[in-house]
Amino acid sequence: MITQMNVRGLLFDPYNNAYIVILRDEENSDMLPIWVGKSEASAISFALESISPPRPMTHDLMKSILDNVDAKVLSAVVTDLKDNTYFAKIHLWYGDSEYSIDSRPSDAIALALRAEAPIFTTEEVLRKQNSEELERWLENLKPEDFGKFET
Amino acid sequence: MSVEQNTDLIPLKVHGVLVDPNTDTQIVVLRDETNADVLPIWVGTAEGTSIRLALEDVVPPRPMSHDLITSFIDHLGMTVSHIVVTDVKNNTYFATIHFTSNGLERTVDARPSDAIAVALRAKCPIYVTSDVLKRRGGDNLDAWLAKLDPQQFGQSETSEA
Repeated sequence: MITQMNVRGLLFDPYNNAYIVILRDEENSDMLPIWVGKSEASAISFALESISPPRPMTHDLMKSILDNVDAKVLSAVVTDLKDNTYFAKIHLWYGDSEYSIDSRPSDAIALALRAEAPIFTTEEVLRKQNSEELERWLENLKPEDFGKFET
Repeated sequence: MSVEQNTDLIPLKVHGVLVDPNTDTQIVVLRDETNADVLPIWVGTAEGTSIRLALEDVVPPRPMSHDLITSFIDHLGMTVSHIVVTDVKNNTYFATIHFTSNGLERTVDARPSDAIAVALRAKCPIYVTSDVLKRRGGDNLDAWLAKLDPQQFGQSETSEA
């Protein structure tokens, strides 16, 4: 069972010198905080603000290669959470087949935003995330509360 | 227009990536095959790191952005044939990635850093036009770097670097 998510925020985490992408479902009842690096956060931020840099950045290049061969980004799915690492897949339509490509969530999200494709996650990921002490994290980011890293 | 017919393209090798500890910038050093000419290009940290990982054949535990691009290319049955650093205007370098898909040759506009990061993973040739090399190349990297005033930006990928 998959749930559609939206990017609801992009925060800086000073304890880990990293950025956090906040995904929430439509009812704002579920949340996935995904730690990402600076360049991925930039890429996501540019897409959120519809900023078009003068030269194509890495995710713009990614999209332009796909556009060039008429490959469509169908969706980005956060598929698993293991050992504090999120896994994702990018679903593409090319020719007359669907392809499913392993990816970090940050790249998947950065690409999905540019392609205006939906972002989903699975019930299992939400369950795994919720079983971590989310409330405590929300109230108080402490240095020992290591968040979920991409790698 | 195949590469063999076009005598305007000079093959280059990535000699290495220098890291400037004071700023957040890295320099990709390209050299021609005779080591006579040097072309340094300023790139961002993420791009420089990606190029260094490819040079050292390091496979990260999860695919980084350029690994993902390579993965798309592989999955969709495409091949990167070569990349070319085509121009430099107002301190901004331009590059083109040439690839084939379904037997057709295609090109995309790219920054040189992304093009080089992809080319290294695809193990395909890297070229520069002789015009760019003439205009921006040097014959000695150390002398070139020494001439550089730290306040003055060198040739960078983007005018905003």
